[in-house]
Amino acid sequence: MNQDEKLSIIKDILLTDEREFTSSIEKKIKILESLINEKRQLSTKVDPIIDDKLKEFIKEIPNTLGPTITKALKKEIANSQDAVVEALFPIIGKMIKRYVQHEMKLLSERVNNQVNKTFSFKGIFRKAKSKASGVNESDLIIQEQTNAKIEQLIIIEKGSGLVLAEFSKNKMADEDMVAGMLTAIKSFVEDAFKKENQNLQYIEYDHYHIHLQNFSSFYMAVVISGAYNVIFKDKLEDEILEFTSKQKVATLLKNKKLLTKKLEDFLKNDNI
Amino acid sequence: MTISKKIVLIGHFGVGKTSLIRRFVENTFTEDYKVTIGVHISKKTIEIPENESVSLIIWDLEGQDDIKKTRPSYLLGTNGFIYVFDLSRPATFENLESELSFLKENYPKVPTKVVGNKMDLVNKVYLSQHNDVFNTNVDYFVSAKTGSRVESLFAKLARELI
Repeated sequence: MNQDEKLSIIKDILLTDEREFTSSIEKKIKILESLINEKRQLSTKVDPIIDDKLKEFIKEIPNTLGPTITKALKKEIANSQDAVVEALFPIIGKMIKRYVQHEMKLLSERVNNQVNKTFSFKGIFRKAKSKASGVNESDLIIQEQTNAKIEQLIIIEKGSGLVLAEFSKNKMADEDMVAGMLTAIKSFVEDAFKKENQNLQYIEYDHYHIHLQNFSSFYMAVVISGAYNVIFKDKLEDEILEFTSKQKVATLLKNKKLLTKKLEDFLKNDNI
Repeated sequence: MTISKKIVLIGHFGVGKTSLIRRFVENTFTEDYKVTIGVHISKKTIEIPENESVSLIIWDLEGQDDIKKTRPSYLLGTNGFIYVFDLSRPATFENLESELSFLKENYPKVPTKVVGNKMDLVNKVYLSQHNDVFNTNVDYFVSAKTGSRVESLFAKLARELI
Protein backbone atom coordinates (compact mmCIF):
# COMPACT_ATOMS: atom_id res chain seq x y z
CA MET A 1 0.00 0.00 0.00
CA ASN A 2 1.54 3.22 -1.11
CA GLN A 3 1.19 6.61 0.40
CA ASP A 4 -1.74 7.77 -1.82
CA GLU A 5 -3.88 4.75 -1.10
CA LYS A 6 -3.40 5.23 2.63
CA LEU A 7 -4.46 8.85 2.35
CA SER A 8 -7.59 7.88 0.43
CA ILE A 9 -8.64 5.39 3.11
CA ILE A 10 -8.14 8.00 5.83
CA LYS A 11 -10.28 10.51 3.79
CA ASP A 12 -13.09 7.97 3.43
CA ILE A 13 -13.12 7.37 7.16
CA LEU A 14 -12.98 11.07 8.11
CA LEU A 15 -15.52 12.47 5.52
CA THR A 16 -18.32 9.88 5.79
CA ASP A 17 -20.66 12.25 7.78
CA GLU A 18 -20.11 15.21 5.42
CA ARG A 19 -20.91 13.03 2.39
CA GLU A 20 -24.19 11.93 3.92
CA PHE A 21 -25.07 15.57 4.75
CA THR A 22 -24.29 16.67 1.17
CA SER A 23 -26.48 13.96 -0.34
CA SER A 24 -29.43 14.94 1.94
CA ILE A 25 -29.10 18.60 0.81
CA GLU A 26 -29.05 17.53 -2.84
CA LYS A 27 -32.30 15.61 -2.28
CA LYS A 28 -33.94 18.64 -0.67
CA ILE A 29 -32.84 20.90 -3.54
CA LYS A 30 -34.33 18.48 -6.08
CA ILE A 31 -37.66 18.51 -4.19
CA LEU A 32 -37.65 22.35 -4.11
CA GLU A 33 -36.81 22.49 -7.83
CA SER A 34 -39.72 20.28 -8.70
CA LEU A 35 -42.02 22.34 -6.43
CA ILE A 36 -41.05 25.61 -8.12
CA ASN A 37 -40.93 24.34 -11.68
CA GLU A 38 -44.19 22.43 -11.59
CA LYS A 39 -47.05 24.94 -11.69
CA ARG A 40 -49.64 22.71 -10.15
CA GLN A 41 -47.46 21.87 -7.19
CA LEU A 42 -46.54 25.56 -6.67
CA SER A 43 -50.13 26.74 -6.91
CA THR A 44 -51.26 24.40 -4.13
CA LYS A 45 -48.79 26.16 -1.85
CA VAL A 46 -49.07 29.79 -3.09
CA ASP A 47 -52.77 30.11 -4.03
CA PRO A 48 -54.13 30.14 -0.45
CA ILE A 49 -51.69 32.93 0.45
CA ILE A 50 -52.66 35.04 -2.60
CA ASP A 51 -56.36 34.45 -1.94
CA ASP A 52 -56.00 35.68 1.62
CA LYS A 53 -54.11 38.77 0.50
CA LEU A 54 -56.68 39.52 -2.21
CA LYS A 55 -59.56 39.24 0.22
CA GLU A 56 -57.77 41.63 2.55
CA PHE A 57 -57.05 44.04 -0.35
CA ILE A 58 -60.70 44.08 -1.52
CA LYS A 59 -61.84 44.69 2.02
CA GLU A 60 -59.46 47.65 2.35
CA ILE A 61 -60.24 49.28 -1.08
CA PRO A 62 -62.74 51.85 0.30
CA ASN A 63 -60.14 53.06 2.80
CA THR A 64 -57.01 52.89 0.68
CA LEU A 65 -58.11 53.73 -2.89
CA GLY A 66 -61.52 55.36 -2.20
CA PRO A 67 -60.32 58.93 -1.56
CA THR A 68 -57.88 58.81 -4.50
CA ILE A 69 -60.54 57.53 -6.91
CA THR A 70 -63.10 60.11 -5.71
CA LYS A 71 -60.55 62.91 -6.09
CA ALA A 72 -59.60 61.75 -9.59
CA LEU A 73 -63.25 61.45 -10.64
CA LYS A 74 -64.11 64.91 -9.30
CA LYS A 75 -61.16 66.40 -11.19
CA GLU A 76 -62.09 64.59 -14.39
CA ILE A 77 -65.74 65.71 -14.16
CA ALA A 78 -64.68 69.32 -13.49
CA ASN A 79 -62.29 69.28 -16.45
CA SER A 80 -64.74 67.78 -18.91
CA GLN A 81 -68.12 69.15 -17.95
CA ASP A 82 -69.31 69.27 -21.55
CA ALA A 83 -68.57 65.57 -21.98
CA VAL A 84 -70.41 64.77 -18.75
CA VAL A 85 -73.42 66.80 -19.90
CA GLU A 86 -73.32 65.01 -23.27
CA ALA A 87 -73.28 61.66 -21.50
CA LEU A 88 -76.01 62.52 -18.99
CA PHE A 89 -78.29 64.45 -21.33
CA PRO A 90 -80.16 61.43 -22.77
CA ILE A 91 -80.67 59.90 -19.31
CA ILE A 92 -81.80 63.12 -17.62
CA GLY A 93 -83.90 63.99 -20.68
CA LYS A 94 -85.77 60.69 -20.36
CA MET A 95 -86.32 61.25 -16.63
CA ILE A 96 -87.68 64.75 -17.22
CA LYS A 97 -89.88 63.53 -20.07
CA ARG A 98 -91.32 60.82 -17.84
CA TYR A 99 -91.91 63.33 -15.02
CA VAL A 100 -93.60 65.84 -17.36
CA GLN A 101 -95.78 63.06 -18.82
CA HIS A 102 -96.82 62.08 -15.29
CA GLU A 103 -97.61 65.68 -14.32
CA MET A 104 -99.55 66.26 -17.56
CA LYS A 105 -101.59 63.13 -16.86
CA LEU A 106 -102.45 64.41 -13.38
CA LEU A 107 -103.34 67.84 -14.77
CA SER A 108 -105.48 66.27 -17.48
CA GLU A 109 -107.35 64.22 -14.86
CA ARG A 110 -107.94 67.34 -12.76
CA VAL A 111 -109.17 69.27 -15.82
CA ASN A 112 -111.49 66.39 -16.73
CA ASN A 113 -112.92 66.43 -13.23
CA GLN A 114 -113.53 70.17 -13.51
CA VAL A 115 -115.18 69.78 -16.93
CA ASN A 116 -117.41 67.02 -15.57
CA LYS A 117 -118.71 69.51 -13.04
CA THR A 118 -119.88 71.74 -15.91
CA PHE A 119 -123.34 72.10 -14.52
CA SER A 120 -122.21 73.02 -11.03
CA PHE A 121 -122.54 76.65 -9.89
CA LYS A 122 -118.74 77.08 -10.18
CA GLY A 123 -118.80 75.75 -13.74
CA ILE A 124 -121.56 78.12 -14.81
CA PHE A 125 -119.73 81.02 -13.16
CA ARG A 126 -116.51 80.07 -15.01
CA LYS A 127 -118.36 79.96 -18.33
CA ALA A 128 -119.75 83.45 -17.72
CA LYS A 129 -116.28 84.68 -16.71
CA SER A 130 -114.76 83.19 -19.85
CA LYS A 131 -117.34 84.95 -22.06
CA ALA A 132 -116.88 88.26 -20.27
CA SER A 133 -113.07 88.26 -20.26
CA GLY A 134 -112.53 86.57 -23.60
CA VAL A 135 -110.21 84.00 -22.01
CA ASN A 136 -110.70 80.41 -23.09
CA GLU A 137 -112.55 78.30 -20.49
CA SER A 138 -109.83 75.65 -20.59
CA ASP A 139 -107.28 78.37 -19.77
CA LEU A 140 -109.41 79.32 -16.77
CA ILE A 141 -109.54 75.72 -15.58
CA ILE A 142 -105.78 75.32 -15.91
CA GLN A 143 -105.31 78.65 -14.14
CA GLU A 144 -107.37 77.37 -11.22
CA GLN A 145 -104.96 74.44 -10.99
CA THR A 146 -101.78 76.45 -11.12
CA ASN A 147 -102.45 79.83 -9.59
CA ALA A 148 -99.82 82.49 -10.09
CA LYS A 149 -97.79 83.50 -7.07
CA ILE A 150 -95.62 86.57 -6.63
CA GLU A 151 -92.16 85.48 -5.48
CA GLN A 152 -90.18 88.72 -5.55
CA LEU A 153 -90.71 92.43 -6.13
CA ILE A 154 -87.89 94.73 -7.16
CA ILE A 155 -88.04 98.46 -7.83
CA ILE A 156 -85.19 99.32 -10.18
CA GLU A 157 -83.79 102.68 -11.21
CA LYS A 158 -84.00 103.15 -14.99
CA GLY A 159 -80.67 103.47 -16.75
CA SER A 160 -78.35 102.55 -13.92
CA GLY A 161 -80.20 99.34 -13.05
CA LEU A 162 -79.56 99.93 -9.35
CA VAL A 163 -82.02 98.46 -6.86
CA LEU A 164 -84.15 101.07 -5.11
CA ALA A 165 -86.11 98.56 -3.02
CA GLU A 166 -86.71 94.84 -2.94
CA PHE A 167 -88.82 92.30 -1.10
CA SER A 168 -89.25 88.56 -1.48
CA LYS A 169 -90.99 85.92 0.61
CA ASN A 170 -88.16 83.49 -0.06
CA LYS A 171 -84.81 84.83 -1.22
CA MET A 172 -84.82 83.96 -4.92
CA ALA A 173 -81.62 85.48 -6.28
CA ASP A 174 -79.25 88.36 -5.70
CA GLU A 175 -81.47 91.35 -6.44
CA ASP A 176 -78.56 93.57 -7.53
CA MET A 177 -77.41 91.06 -10.15
CA VAL A 178 -80.98 90.40 -11.33
CA ALA A 179 -81.71 94.14 -11.56
CA GLY A 180 -78.49 94.76 -13.48
CA MET A 181 -79.09 91.97 -15.95
CA LEU A 182 -82.76 92.91 -16.45
CA THR A 183 -81.72 96.50 -17.16
CA ALA A 184 -79.04 95.36 -19.62
CA ILE A 185 -81.53 93.10 -21.41
CA LYS A 186 -84.15 95.87 -21.45
CA SER A 187 -81.61 98.36 -22.83
CA PHE A 188 -80.50 95.95 -25.52
CA VAL A 189 -84.01 95.01 -26.66
CA GLU A 190 -85.29 98.59 -26.58
CA ASP A 191 -82.23 99.82 -28.51
CA ALA A 192 -82.50 97.00 -31.02
CA PHE A 193 -86.10 97.82 -31.92
CA LYS A 194 -85.24 101.53 -32.10
CA LYS A 195 -88.80 102.67 -31.46
CA GLU A 196 -89.42 105.38 -28.92
CA ASN A 197 -91.70 104.83 -25.95
CA GLN A 198 -91.61 101.07 -26.31
CA ASN A 199 -90.58 99.00 -23.33
CA LEU A 200 -89.77 95.42 -22.64
CA GLN A 201 -92.64 94.17 -20.51
CA TYR A 202 -92.09 90.51 -19.94
CA ILE A 203 -89.31 87.94 -19.63
CA GLU A 204 -89.71 84.23 -19.06
CA TYR A 205 -86.96 82.44 -17.18
CA ASP A 206 -87.08 78.74 -16.34
CA HIS A 207 -90.27 78.26 -14.25
CA TYR A 208 -90.57 81.96 -13.56
CA HIS A 209 -92.25 84.84 -15.34
CA ILE A 210 -90.80 88.30 -14.87
CA HIS A 211 -93.36 91.04 -15.30
CA LEU A 212 -91.84 94.45 -15.96
CA GLN A 213 -93.88 97.59 -15.39
CA ASN A 214 -92.34 100.86 -16.48
CA PHE A 215 -92.62 104.29 -14.89
CA SER A 216 -90.78 107.49 -15.72
CA SER A 217 -87.63 107.12 -13.63
CA PHE A 218 -87.93 103.54 -12.43
CA TYR A 219 -89.47 100.23 -13.32
CA MET A 220 -90.84 97.40 -11.27
CA ALA A 221 -89.87 93.78 -11.81
CA VAL A 222 -92.23 91.17 -10.41
CA VAL A 223 -91.02 87.57 -10.35
CA ILE A 224 -93.98 85.20 -10.63
CA SER A 225 -94.28 81.42 -10.39
CA GLY A 226 -97.28 79.48 -11.67
CA ALA A 227 -99.61 80.46 -14.49
CA TYR A 228 -99.13 84.00 -15.76
CA ASN A 229 -101.98 84.86 -18.09
CA VAL A 230 -103.84 87.88 -19.43
CA ILE A 231 -106.19 88.09 -16.45
CA PHE A 232 -103.39 87.92 -13.93
CA LYS A 233 -101.33 90.43 -15.92
CA ASP A 234 -104.21 92.92 -16.06
CA LYS A 235 -104.88 92.58 -12.36
CA LEU A 236 -101.20 92.85 -11.50
CA GLU A 237 -100.79 95.98 -13.63
CA ASP A 238 -103.80 97.60 -11.94
CA GLU A 239 -102.55 96.70 -8.47
CA ILE A 240 -99.06 98.04 -9.18
CA LEU A 241 -100.46 101.27 -10.60
CA GLU A 242 -102.65 101.69 -7.56
CA PHE A 243 -99.76 100.86 -5.23
CA THR A 244 -97.36 103.33 -6.85
CA SER A 245 -99.85 106.20 -6.87
CA LYS A 246 -101.36 105.51 -3.44
CA GLN A 247 -97.97 105.06 -1.75
CA LYS A 248 -96.37 107.90 -3.74
CA VAL A 249 -93.52 105.63 -4.72
CA ALA A 250 -91.93 108.24 -7.01
CA THR A 251 -91.30 110.48 -3.99
CA LEU A 252 -89.82 107.67 -1.91
CA LEU A 253 -87.16 106.49 -4.34
CA LYS A 254 -84.33 107.76 -2.14
CA ASN A 255 -85.76 106.12 0.97
CA LYS A 256 -84.86 102.47 0.46
CA LYS A 257 -85.93 101.38 3.94
CA LEU A 258 -89.42 102.86 3.76
CA LEU A 259 -89.94 101.71 0.18
CA THR A 260 -88.93 98.16 1.12
CA LYS A 261 -91.46 98.22 3.98
CA LYS A 262 -94.18 99.34 1.58
CA LEU A 263 -93.29 96.52 -0.80
CA GLU A 264 -93.43 94.04 2.06
CA ASP A 265 -96.94 95.22 3.01
CA PHE A 266 -98.02 95.05 -0.62
CA LEU A 267 -96.78 91.49 -0.99
CA LYS A 268 -98.14 90.34 2.38
CA ASN A 269 -101.62 91.63 1.58
CA ASP A 270 -101.59 89.35 -1.46
CA ASN A 271 -104.18 91.41 -3.29
CA ILE A 272 -103.66 89.65 -6.57
CA MET B 1 -75.25 101.16 5.79
CA THR B 2 -74.61 99.81 2.29
CA ILE B 3 -74.90 101.95 -0.78
CA SER B 4 -74.88 100.64 -4.34
CA LYS B 5 -72.82 102.15 -7.14
CA LYS B 6 -72.65 101.24 -10.81
CA ILE B 7 -69.14 100.86 -12.22
CA VAL B 8 -68.62 100.34 -15.95
CA LEU B 9 -65.45 98.89 -17.48
CA ILE B 10 -64.72 99.93 -21.05
CA GLY B 11 -61.85 99.51 -23.49
CA HIS B 12 -60.68 97.57 -26.53
CA PHE B 13 -61.09 93.83 -27.06
CA GLY B 14 -58.77 91.59 -25.09
CA VAL B 15 -57.31 94.26 -22.80
CA GLY B 16 -58.31 92.24 -19.72
CA LYS B 17 -61.48 93.91 -18.46
CA THR B 18 -63.08 90.59 -17.53
CA SER B 19 -59.84 89.34 -15.98
CA LEU B 20 -59.59 92.47 -13.85
CA ILE B 21 -63.13 91.97 -12.56
CA ARG B 22 -62.53 88.28 -11.95
CA ARG B 23 -59.37 89.08 -10.02
CA PHE B 24 -61.20 91.69 -7.93
CA VAL B 25 -64.43 89.74 -7.30
CA GLU B 26 -63.22 86.12 -7.16
CA ASN B 27 -59.46 86.55 -6.76
CA THR B 28 -58.85 84.18 -9.66
CA PHE B 29 -57.11 84.40 -13.04
CA THR B 30 -57.12 82.25 -16.15
CA GLU B 31 -55.11 82.49 -19.38
CA ASP B 32 -58.14 81.21 -21.36
CA TYR B 33 -59.56 84.10 -23.31
CA LYS B 34 -63.31 84.14 -23.80
CA VAL B 35 -64.67 87.20 -25.51
CA THR B 36 -67.43 89.03 -23.63
CA ILE B 37 -70.63 89.34 -25.62
CA GLY B 38 -73.04 92.10 -24.64
CA VAL B 39 -72.58 92.70 -20.96
CA HIS B 40 -71.75 90.70 -17.87
CA ILE B 41 -72.62 91.92 -14.40
CA SER B 42 -70.78 91.16 -11.17
CA LYS B 43 -71.08 92.44 -7.65
CA LYS B 44 -68.72 92.95 -4.76
CA THR B 45 -69.28 94.76 -1.50
CA ILE B 46 -66.28 96.45 0.03
CA GLU B 47 -65.91 97.92 3.45
CA ILE B 48 -64.55 101.40 3.67
CA PRO B 49 -63.50 103.40 6.72
CA GLU B 50 -66.16 105.28 8.68
CA ASN B 51 -68.09 101.97 8.98
CA GLU B 52 -69.78 102.19 5.62
CA SER B 53 -69.86 99.66 2.83
CA VAL B 54 -70.22 100.11 -0.89
CA SER B 55 -71.82 97.52 -3.09
CA LEU B 56 -70.14 97.80 -6.46
CA ILE B 57 -72.34 96.61 -9.31
CA ILE B 58 -69.73 96.11 -12.02
CA TRP B 59 -70.78 96.17 -15.67
CA ASP B 60 -68.27 94.42 -17.91
CA LEU B 61 -69.02 95.63 -21.43
CA GLU B 62 -67.90 93.86 -24.58
CA GLY B 63 -64.72 95.35 -26.04
CA GLN B 64 -64.94 98.11 -28.63
CA ASP B 65 -62.08 99.64 -30.61
CA ASP B 66 -64.00 102.93 -30.54
CA ILE B 67 -65.83 104.11 -27.42
CA LYS B 68 -68.50 105.76 -29.59
CA LYS B 69 -69.63 102.30 -30.69
CA THR B 70 -70.57 101.39 -27.10
CA ARG B 71 -74.33 101.12 -26.60
CA PRO B 72 -75.20 104.40 -24.81
CA SER B 73 -78.02 102.82 -22.79
CA TYR B 74 -75.42 100.62 -21.03
CA LEU B 75 -73.66 103.75 -19.80
CA LEU B 76 -76.76 105.45 -18.36
CA GLY B 77 -76.63 106.09 -14.63
CA THR B 78 -72.99 105.10 -14.33
CA ASN B 79 -71.33 106.23 -11.11
CA GLY B 80 -67.77 105.48 -12.16
CA PHE B 81 -65.86 104.44 -15.28
CA ILE B 82 -62.77 102.30 -15.49
CA TYR B 83 -61.11 102.70 -18.89
CA VAL B 84 -58.81 99.72 -19.44
CA PHE B 85 -56.06 99.35 -22.03
CA ASP B 86 -53.34 96.78 -22.65
CA LEU B 87 -49.88 98.14 -21.80
CA SER B 88 -48.27 95.66 -24.18
CA ARG B 89 -50.45 96.56 -27.20
CA PRO B 90 -50.04 100.19 -28.37
CA ALA B 91 -53.14 99.86 -30.57
CA THR B 92 -55.24 99.81 -27.42
CA PHE B 93 -53.93 103.15 -26.14
CA GLU B 94 -53.04 105.11 -29.27
CA ASN B 95 -56.45 106.87 -29.24
CA LEU B 96 -56.54 107.20 -25.47
CA GLU B 97 -56.84 110.99 -25.42
CA SER B 98 -59.80 111.14 -27.80
CA GLU B 99 -61.52 108.29 -25.96
CA LEU B 100 -61.11 110.09 -22.63
CA SER B 101 -62.34 113.39 -24.05
CA PHE B 102 -65.47 111.59 -25.27
CA LEU B 103 -66.10 110.44 -21.69
CA LYS B 104 -65.39 113.90 -20.29
CA GLU B 105 -67.76 115.56 -22.75
CA ASN B 106 -70.63 113.14 -22.33
CA TYR B 107 -70.25 112.19 -18.66
CA PRO B 108 -68.54 115.21 -17.10
CA LYS B 109 -69.53 114.42 -13.52
CA VAL B 110 -68.60 110.75 -13.56
CA PRO B 111 -65.15 109.91 -12.16
CA THR B 112 -62.97 107.89 -14.52
CA LYS B 113 -59.93 105.79 -13.73
CA VAL B 114 -57.57 105.06 -16.60
CA VAL B 115 -55.89 101.71 -16.14
CA GLY B 116 -52.99 100.09 -17.96
CA ASN B 117 -53.34 96.34 -17.54
CA LYS B 118 -50.82 93.49 -18.10
CA MET B 119 -48.06 95.24 -16.18
CA ASP B 120 -46.40 91.82 -15.83
CA LEU B 121 -45.68 91.79 -19.59
CA VAL B 122 -43.70 95.05 -19.84
CA ASN B 123 -40.48 96.42 -18.38
CA LYS B 124 -39.26 99.85 -17.27
CA VAL B 125 -37.54 100.56 -20.59
CA TYR B 126 -40.78 99.94 -22.48
CA LEU B 127 -42.74 102.13 -20.06
CA SER B 128 -40.28 105.00 -20.50
CA GLN B 129 -40.60 104.70 -24.29
CA HIS B 130 -44.32 105.51 -23.98
CA ASN B 131 -43.82 107.99 -21.20
CA ASP B 132 -45.69 110.77 -22.99
CA VAL B 133 -48.96 108.79 -22.98
CA PHE B 134 -48.59 107.02 -19.67
CA ASN B 135 -47.41 109.94 -17.59
CA THR B 136 -50.24 112.27 -18.43
CA ASN B 137 -53.27 110.02 -18.69
CA VAL B 138 -52.82 106.84 -16.69
CA ASP B 139 -54.00 106.52 -13.07
CA TYR B 140 -53.08 102.90 -12.41
CA PHE B 141 -50.70 100.29 -13.79
CA VAL B 142 -52.12 96.94 -12.81
CA SER B 143 -51.84 93.25 -13.53
CA ALA B 144 -54.91 91.04 -13.40
CA LYS B 145 -52.54 88.06 -13.62
CA THR B 146 -50.51 88.85 -10.51
CA GLY B 147 -53.26 90.89 -8.82
CA SER B 148 -50.93 93.85 -8.46
CA ARG B 149 -52.83 97.06 -7.51
CA VAL B 150 -56.23 95.67 -8.59
CA GLU B 151 -57.76 95.85 -5.12
CA SER B 152 -56.48 99.39 -4.51
CA LEU B 153 -57.88 100.57 -7.87
CA PHE B 154 -61.44 99.55 -6.99
CA ALA B 155 -61.10 100.68 -3.38
CA LYS B 156 -59.91 104.14 -4.46
CA LEU B 157 -62.77 104.52 -6.93
CA ALA B 158 -65.31 103.33 -4.35
CA ARG B 159 -64.08 105.96 -1.86
CA GLU B 160 -64.40 108.67 -4.50
CA LEU B 161 -68.01 107.70 -5.16
CA ILE B 162 -69.28 108.28 -1.63
